[in-house]
Amino acid sequence: MKAALIAIALAAASIAALTGIGVAKDDASKDALPAGSVSRADGLEAWKRIEAVVTHPRCANCHVDAKAIPMWTPAGETKTRVHGMNIHGGESRIGAETIACSTCHITTTLPNDPAPAPLHAGIDWQLAPVEFIWFGKSGAEICAQLKDPKRNGGRDAVALLEHLRHDASLSGFIPRAWAPGAGRTTPPGSFEDHVKDMALWGAAGQPCPN
Amino acid sequence: MIELTVNGIKHRVDVVPEMPLLWVLRDELGITSPKYGCGIAQCGACTVQINGAAVRSCQARIGDLAGKSVVTIDGLDNREQHPVLQAWIEHQVPQCGYCQTGQIMQAVSLLELIPKPTDEQINEVMSGNLCRCGTYPRIRAAIHAAAAKMAEK
Repeated sequence: MKAALIAIALAAASIAALTGIGVAKDDASKDALPAGSVSRADGLEAWKRIEAVVTHPRCANCHVDAKAIPMWTPAGETKTRVHGMNIHGGESRIGAETIACSTCHITTTLPNDPAPAPLHAGIDWQLAPVEFIWFGKSGAEICAQLKDPKRNGGRDAVALLEHLRHDASLSGFIPRAWAPGAGRTTPPGSFEDHVKDMALWGAAGQPCPN
Repeated sequence: MIELTVNGIKHRVDVVPEMPLLWVLRDELGITSPKYGCGIAQCGACTVQINGAAVRSCQARIGDLAGKSVVTIDGLDNREQHPVLQAWIEHQVPQCGYCQTGQIMQAVSLLELIPKPTDEQINEVMSGNLCRCGTYPRIRAAIHAAAAKMAEK
């Protein structure tokens, strides 16, 4: 029974994740810049802006290690703490083994509510895959992870752009970082700025700081 | 009009799609067992099942629930003999009782997922359901007792 329930939860999440991939590919091909058309220096400048986004608590707090304990930065506070309510994402990363993240972080394309109501998204709420650890990592470490297909879901620079557009097509987590509901901070810039920076960084050969 | 099934009965409600399920249940359908505690998924008093999964009904939006099946404590199968409710009565779990329908619905979901939960698993699943009366030891005992009853069947 338990295995069946977990399988159903994971299957539902996977089906949602597959929807809209074709649209995302079309959009990403428009976003991509010719390889080599951007200098390394400009690529590194783009990375600085990307780093400011991916290390922001809004983005990093669910990119945690295999312990699968999400982090929490309450609205109006700067100190990050362990998610309340004894929450564990489990191996499923969606809480399927005990209590699903979507028990509170409901799946909906409606806008986020003002803090402190929980955030939500058009994709079932989940932790990022365990290979994509950002929380507590330096910018250089995240940069190395993000360009490594073994640790980024098998994606090259253009596929990373597809990932951004695919997520956005589902009203997913990435664009919602800039629309978290009143009373919450956002990463610098906008989602479209982030897409442009990822395109610049990719075209420059994904340079990383030392 | 939005159509959904609550406790096996089909309903059509004419409300804005952003309306939380809790409001629809209590104010539109007169089902008052799910309680309003905090409105921000911090207390669990409004917990119901949607398509078999526990959800905070103050967060679920009616516009997302067309065609889905909602179950409150009133709609549990064989309610009078339900092992969780029986265990709750035997252990005299409630004090004021306000949080208890949410506690029970979360416990039902826990036992459907994990038929014989450990204390640690109970802690993980039930920590989002708060009880100002502090009935937690009795809640845990009742969950273990319900698990034993369910194993007998």
